[in-house]
Amino acid sequence: MSSLLTPTQRYAAGALFALALHQAQIHQTRPLGGSLPTDEEDSTGERISSGSSSDSVSEDPGLWVHESSGLLRPVFRFLEIDSTAWLGLEETAGSSPAKSHIGAFLRLLSEESGASSEMTDKEHALSKAIDVMAQSMETTTVISNSKKEKHREYEHECREKYSVADMQSKSEQVNVHFETQPATNFNVRSEEGPSGSDNKSDERPVEEVMMLNYQKKVTVLYELLSACLADLPEDNKKRMRQRKGYDARHRVALRLLATWFDLNWIQVEAIETIVASSAMALAKEQESKQEETQSPKSSWAKWRRGGIIGAAALTGGTLMAITGGLAAPAIAAGFGALAPTLGTLIPVIGASGFAAAASAAGTVAGSIAVAASFGAAGAGLTGSKMARRIGSVDEFEFKPIGENHNQGCLAVGIFISGLVFEEEDFLRPWEGLSENLERYALQWESKNLIAVSTAIQDWLTSRFALELMKQGAMMTVLSTLLVALAWPATLLAAADFIDSKWTIAVDRSDKAGKLLAEVLLKGLQGNRPVTLVGYSLGARVIFKCLQCLAETEQNAELVERVVLLGAPISIKDENWEAARKMVAGRFMNAYSTDDWTLGVAFRASLLTKGLAGIQPVDVHGIENVDVTELIEGHSSYLWATQQILEQLELDTYYPVFRSTPAEP
Amino acid sequence: MDSSSSQTEFDYLFKLLLIGDSGVGKSSLLLSFTSDTFEDLSPTIGVDFKVKYVTVSGKRLKLAIWDTAGQERFRTLTSSYYRGAQGIIMVYDVTRRETFTNLSDIWAKEIDLYSTNQDCIKMLVGNKVDKESERVVSKKEGINFAREYGCLFIECSAKTRVNVQQSFEELVLKILDTPSLLAEGSKGVKKNIFKQKPPQSDASTSSCC
Repeated sequence: MSSLLTPTQRYAAGALFALALHQAQIHQTRPLGGSLPTDEEDSTGERISSGSSSDSVSEDPGLWVHESSGLLRPVFRFLEIDSTAWLGLEETAGSSPAKSHIGAFLRLLSEESGASSEMTDKEHALSKAIDVMAQSMETTTVISNSKKEKHREYEHECREKYSVADMQSKSEQVNVHFETQPATNFNVRSEEGPSGSDNKSDERPVEEVMMLNYQKKVTVLYELLSACLADLPEDNKKRMRQRKGYDARHRVALRLLATWFDLNWIQVEAIETIVASSAMALAKEQESKQEETQSPKSSWAKWRRGGIIGAAALTGGTLMAITGGLAAPAIAAGFGALAPTLGTLIPVIGASGFAAAASAAGTVAGSIAVAASFGAAGAGLTGSKMARRIGSVDEFEFKPIGENHNQGCLAVGIFISGLVFEEEDFLRPWEGLSENLERYALQWESKNLIAVSTAIQDWLTSRFALELMKQGAMMTVLSTLLVALAWPATLLAAADFIDSKWTIAVDRSDKAGKLLAEVLLKGLQGNRPVTLVGYSLGARVIFKCLQCLAETEQNAELVERVVLLGAPISIKDENWEAARKMVAGRFMNAYSTDDWTLGVAFRASLLTKGLAGIQPVDVHGIENVDVTELIEGHSSYLWATQQILEQLELDTYYPVFRSTPAEP
Repeated sequence: MDSSSSQTEFDYLFKLLLIGDSGVGKSSLLLSFTSDTFEDLSPTIGVDFKVKYVTVSGKRLKLAIWDTAGQERFRTLTSSYYRGAQGIIMVYDVTRRETFTNLSDIWAKEIDLYSTNQDCIKMLVGNKVDKESERVVSKKEGINFAREYGCLFIECSAKTRVNVQQSFEELVLKILDTPSLLAEGSKGVKKNIFKQKPPQSDASTSSCC
């Protein structure tokens, strides 16, 4: 039995995935619950007959569900859905409104019975294994409380060191602030938590989901994820996707599907871990040629094994497609460390349960993409090589943070600091995060960044600035700058003071962005979806990286989510739409209307064109989040970023910004 | 009715739906209409979709035709495809009576339940008239049902292609005669959400394809 689902269930699963994929693309420009409600689409769709009002999918190659994107058909093939049904599925995915289809397919999924008891048993074994895995992952999260403590210390240190000036200005300007810059929340409903009511109706449109049992949902997601990772050897058609591995768009679709299923994302992360580690364990097994796989001799199993053996023969360091790149050296050394990841399950679900889960897992593992090997070159090495080539970037290095390395994590997070006073500021703002990502901090151009940060800091504590703040002038400065007609003379001096260093830093951040894009294009992250988070100039690095990607890429297969905080990026001069297109999932811009440090550094001439770090960016699909209340000054991002990220709930599919932090 | 498949410009876009019991020849009928061929087809899985460009009374039409599975297990699925259809074709097999009686027992009810279009044109099609010797449902019965239910009626054979083009043409003509349906299908309301994006994004990023 190569699948735990009946053919009809696989058909329904494929359909739901297709629907999710298409909806995810729609949400790229029209986020759920955004100011351009998807309801509009739905309601007009109902009034004007939906089906007749849209072109058919096959005519729009720009769609993710279109054949040429190469996103759906491999999944269908993996699920062994009859190829005659593919076109109908694609068209269904593209026809609006999706809501009614989702309900129908969910019903199909739940009504279809006839699964053998063996399948049901396996299903139970699998879901149990996933539960245990999710639990163990949650425990790890809890442990991170101690990290939070550390983070508070860090915050305290930072505040003492850097925020004197900022805070003064803040405390004096608070009262005026609200008049001049009414805090507006664009696109994001800040008052509601994830359980907000109108919200719910949006992405949980269907009561049919109640008919599905938990095991079924988990099994469906498991099969779909496997299908996403699978690399079918018989796929000899012209391949549209340039690279194999885990496509960011697939992950976003799975995230939406999990939302429809009303499952916690951690369950999916557990599934990811199980799939990845069993794939790696299996590959290891094959490599040492110890024994046969235990999977039955279906035709699937055969070629799946063929795929593994072929890959193993190809290179000593197999499976780098999903684990390679950044983690390559560690993985190569630590295959053994992965088996225990699965091994921890045995005591809890029992040996037979494990065998069942393993055979369920094994049906997939063999087929997971083995696209390319990066040898044992880590990013540090590669990074420095590239730096030399590009020339003016002196430092560009990835540093692992957190414990999620070599744990079979199928998603990567890259975190980039921008305002840095000492080297550890590249790492410490990100250390307390609890996302289940394989996390890396990018250390780049520390000399220049420290120079500019210190210059800004020096100026803030200088006589000029203190004087200005005493007069309460700063509160009006920003609005003046925005109007950009008159520059106070003192500020001109300030700008000169910071200017040269700032210009260099901006230039370097643009180049670092290019480098980052190259790293991603080369797949050094291991062809896994990437989440990019950066503040200040780090946000600029990310934005530039997206722009570079937009020049070469046609779609959002690399980057899953982006968070820009206090970004020194012009709004009008830059092509935000192109950058948005490179991000499969959420794109968040956190700004502080009070961040006049950023305003001063960024120069008035540019301010007339808008500045992302202090204003909302009015581009469809970008979530603008007003964090003015959390940010006392530009340097606050050092320690406030973590809280902002927590409130943004990155793992939620739809836009969210909790108004109150989880813990006081 | 002229037809050409290369044409992509059109005045109206209509959504049509094929329903009826399993094995009555819905997919064959569609295949016969869209590509003038007939072959043995395996049962449809879920739904199939085909596009056909035709010119009827001087209007260039794009027909998006959804072919649903007749099998009971997919019944739940078809319900979501009624929405927004301007034309619904109910097909039965003239050699199998139960496919005819199921029309009133099941399919007509489904339409009432799920169709969102009050004015939607319905058509009754008796297929497989090439098997005249095995016929068990008379033409008269078909006509009576059609009259009672207020829909168009035709008998055809997907195999010999008798009346296949005519059936679709008749349906489309009736749709063209119905102002409310015409308004729905006109290009003005055609909307493709990905083409509604601000113009600059298109200009700068989508030059590739």
